[in-house]
Amino acid sequence: MSVTDPNAAPMRETAFSVRTRRWRELSATILSNPTTVIGLVIIVALLAMAVFAPWLASPNTPDPYQMPRDWGAVRMPPGTPGHVLGTTNQGGDVFYGVVWGSRTSLQLSIVVVSVTVCIGIAIGSIAGLVGGWVDEALMRIVDVFLSIPELIFALAVAAILGPSFSNIILSLCIVFWVKYARIMRAQIILVRQADYVKAATVIGDSKFNIFRRDILPNAVTPIAVQATLDMGNIVLVGATLSFIGLSESGIAEWGVLVSEGQAGIASGRWWASTFPGLMIFLWALAFNLVGDGLRDALDPRTEGR
Amino acid sequence: MNVKVDTDGTVAHQDDAGDVLLSVRNLRKYFPIKDGVLQNVVGHVKAVDGVSFDIRRGETVGLVGESGCGKSTLSGCVSGLTDPTGGSVHFNTRGRGSAHGPLDEGDRIDRMDRATFAKYRRNVQMVFQDNFASLNPRQLVVDIVGRPLRVHGIASGTALQEKVVELLEQVGLGRQHLYRYPHQFSGGQRQRISIARALALDPELIVLDEPTSALDVSVQAQILNLLNDLQAERHLAYLFITHDLSVVRHMADRTITMYLGKVVEEGPTQDLFETPEHPYTKVLLAAKPDLDDDPDVPIQTLAGSIPDPARPPSGCRFHTRCPVATSTCGWEIDDIVRELETREDLFDKLVGVDRKSDLEATLTFSDSAAAHAVWEAIRSDSVPETMRDAIETLDVRDGALMVRFAKPSAIELREVGTGHRAACILAGE
Amino acid sequence: MTSIETPTENPTRPAIARVQGLKVHFASKKGPVHAVDGVDFDIADGEMLGLVGETGCGKSVTGRAFLGLIPQPPARIAGGRILFRPRRREDTSEDTPEFRPCPTCKGADIVCATCNGSGYDTLDLLAVKPRTMRAIRGRRIAMIFQDPGKALNPILTIGDQLAEVFLQHASADLLADIGGTGDMGGLAAGAVGRAARQESGRLDGILSRVPPVRGHLRRLRAALEDRIAAALAETQISNPRRVIRSYPHELSGGMRQRVMIAQALACDPDLIIADEPTTALDVTIQAKIMELIKMLQEKRKTSVLYISHDLSLVRRTCDRVVVMYAGRVAEVGGVREVFAAPRHPYTRGLLDAIPRSGETRGVLASIPGTVPELVSPPPGCRFADRCVHVMPECTRVNPTLQPLTPDQSVSCFLAHPPAPGAAHKEPELQET
Repeated sequence: MSVTDPNAAPMRETAFSVRTRRWRELSATILSNPTTVIGLVIIVALLAMAVFAPWLASPNTPDPYQMPRDWGAVRMPPGTPGHVLGTTNQGGDVFYGVVWGSRTSLQLSIVVVSVTVCIGIAIGSIAGLVGGWVDEALMRIVDVFLSIPELIFALAVAAILGPSFSNIILSLCIVFWVKYARIMRAQIILVRQADYVKAATVIGDSKFNIFRRDILPNAVTPIAVQATLDMGNIVLVGATLSFIGLSESGIAEWGVLVSEGQAGIASGRWWASTFPGLMIFLWALAFNLVGDGLRDALDPRTEGR
Repeated sequence: MNVKVDTDGTVAHQDDAGDVLLSVRNLRKYFPIKDGVLQNVVGHVKAVDGVSFDIRRGETVGLVGESGCGKSTLSGCVSGLTDPTGGSVHFNTRGRGSAHGPLDEGDRIDRMDRATFAKYRRNVQMVFQDNFASLNPRQLVVDIVGRPLRVHGIASGTALQEKVVELLEQVGLGRQHLYRYPHQFSGGQRQRISIARALALDPELIVLDEPTSALDVSVQAQILNLLNDLQAERHLAYLFITHDLSVVRHMADRTITMYLGKVVEEGPTQDLFETPEHPYTKVLLAAKPDLDDDPDVPIQTLAGSIPDPARPPSGCRFHTRCPVATSTCGWEIDDIVRELETREDLFDKLVGVDRKSDLEATLTFSDSAAAHAVWEAIRSDSVPETMRDAIETLDVRDGALMVRFAKPSAIELREVGTGHRAACILAGE
Repeated sequence: MTSIETPTENPTRPAIARVQGLKVHFASKKGPVHAVDGVDFDIADGEMLGLVGETGCGKSVTGRAFLGLIPQPPARIAGGRILFRPRRREDTSEDTPEFRPCPTCKGADIVCATCNGSGYDTLDLLAVKPRTMRAIRGRRIAMIFQDPGKALNPILTIGDQLAEVFLQHASADLLADIGGTGDMGGLAAGAVGRAARQESGRLDGILSRVPPVRGHLRRLRAALEDRIAAALAETQISNPRRVIRSYPHELSGGMRQRVMIAQALACDPDLIIADEPTTALDVTIQAKIMELIKMLQEKRKTSVLYISHDLSLVRRTCDRVVVMYAGRVAEVGGVREVFAAPRHPYTRGLLDAIPRSGETRGVLASIPGTVPELVSPPPGCRFADRCVHVMPECTRVNPTLQPLTPDQSVSCFLAHPPAPGAAHKEPELQET
């Protein structure tokens, strides 16, 4: 911080310009990391694919999320005219599945992440703020959830609910909130002891305002990082559940496609599994790269330096 | 003493009880020590244990002591951040120029009605030691300093912004700093922002919890000057908490010394520094030499470490380390246990302590040789002579050692000069 | 090449270390921060030298540079040397090939004027090999840190941590304590020797169960514990045997700092770097720790570089003091001279800013402004924009550190006006 010349022309600063500058600086930090940029590029490409799905692969069934079946063109290899990436055993176009699968995956991750983050923040905040036996009770529940591996737990829940894509979403929501609740509680306990929280109390601000203005904004950073990483991981877990048959068959979902195409790998028909599998890999990789970049950029030790 | 010249030139005596802004009476704050699976309370850390003092309008009261003496807990109680375990904090909410009258039950902050408590909140503000942690890193200066105004509905919109600029200018910052984040400032500037925030509600009392301890001396000088200027302008009262005696000497009208949760001495700063009466105050003064002192006079130091605040020594709490302790300063069974702790070979053989009171107990050892060794040790020069003098009976039978101490003198704060009180039986002699 | 054997400041006492033109730059988003920018001073043999200055003046970085403790990157040693001449000692087993004998007397003459009888040539601490640096750390130059809680390993007992130092640097002494390995059999002598040097192999595990070897090892452990207890007792710890078995968290701050001092003194180093050793402690403990360091320093004639921002403690304990400002030395001199008659406006400002008795409230002399930004600093004196006596040349030419009296040097044009035409020269070239 240099000495400010009082005679200098007043800077044309407004709260808005400063806040946007903060975001600009943050994004500059993020963009200075090449691996993060790679991740972002992949994500943008996949999002564009999801948005422009009807134009990239126009649906010919009433429900566009169902794989089209063309019994006249089963097991076609990649490069076949009209079927760039080949077709499946049922004559479904692999390219169509890849394109529309990005929508299903996006839907899956957005729904699961937003629902679990909300539950996690709510429960973590209650535990951290109320404390006492409420905290004890909530944290024991969290411990029970955490004692079972995520995948196996999700699998069990999905199996109980019955095979369908929406049940996969539901089971992932039931499983994934615990992590956020844990992180949130730890953050709240840390932040609520900060001197600026005491200062706000001395000013006379209400408890709700202190939570909203001081505690919450300073506690959510690790949640944002974790949520970004989970955007990728959830698709991976969802695909696993689909792969073992807990989703409806025939829908345009990468996990289902990998599952249904795997039988053909032994007979040399690699394409039906490989391309959707590649998409899952790219999706998970991209969000992990961005999540790592975000973590570095938001690191309080480097932020603002 | 304590004479202030009012603006119209008349001389007013501050001894007038009506000018008391804040009264702390027999304040206690105990923190439970929990242990085990069920988190049972196994004891209490007596952070503040029966503290009373007053702060008058416009005066600076310095509160000094080493870490763990309870000064920060006390500041929390005064500013309403911590609920005391016992005792009371009274605050005069009737405003400046109010009718005189002593503070009563109705002024207790824990019994105030909502509206009165809101007045108390507005009138007692705080500045913290850690200038970085006391400002929300995600808020702009305009939001930080303007927040008290917004919370109490004093200003909004452009008026609020102008008020914030005014406050910033009062602390030596300006309009160009409105839209910056705390991390863009130096430590001294951040402390100025904290002070501006504390001033926003035009309070009567500001609790300053080590406000300059984290700053360099040249910056500290700037902040101290600023605090003094503001006090002169606004007739503020300060409770100035610090461990730096040279700062207290420079800032405070009256000084309070605390040791292990208790006030050991209080008085007008000049008297306290020139004729300290309590040995602990003397040690504190001698440990931090002034730059003008003769460098060849050796620094006086203190033996031992601060005793466990969960089991504070009885009588005068300082007697375990006091260079001039007498036989009636509060020697007790715990002193023998403390003595044993430094002798591992003997302490290991101590099987049990059967207490009849703090002054009388039977110590059992695993063999009679150990008991005899302890008996020898207690009668030898290895324990303070005054402690030996305080022992009424000392019998050893087989593996058991019976000890009884003489009743110590009551040690309370007593007047040793005008407004100068010390809790030491030697004080004033 | 300027060498350490021509002391400029204090002809009566030879220097054990000399910092010459030290520059340390830190990488930042805005560009390199010139944290230390041309620092020169000597540490005389057996003296306690205070290094004072405010936050960010580069005093800690300078101290850390002695032991190669500056992380590179983000830091970069941009120039300069730290010359160090080890003292003569009996046990040379820890010396590395970089410990060269004195070029004049070849290490033989104990009254040699060149090396002050130490028998060693100077080493540049910034250029030595990592192996040499390891041999120097702890054995030749030790460090005491500000926060003893962080500098001690929380999962090892105090005894284990101190044992490490002895086994690392004083294994020969330990073996001597148990009467040497001469009367043992070949195998046993090997095993005990390796144990003392912390090099025990798998075979030694078996050997250590053989009765005669076991006896020797037990004696080795006892000797080790005796040495640790003695080291702790020297720092006035009243019950060293108990502290040996304690973990750092079981000790108070003052006690931990004593352990740190015991660790630093364990191998009788030639130089101790004490970086704000009492800042984290209470005033009564502070005084005690400083008194202890001073007492041990005088007893052993060790040199101490005492880095601090506490001017009153420096005045009490040090022989000479270096005042740093914004990465440069403002003033050097005897403690009495500098505190009684500071010649640099910054030193004066710093001393005036401390509240003293008999001063009126509210009129502390504070230095206006703030410390300049150290990214691409302007030429000239770093203090120019805050100085009340600023002259035109102050903003153009950097005043170099010039002796004023044999006991005091200052880098300010008030004390020694610039030579005409000096503005055209590169300031660094003026030095010899």
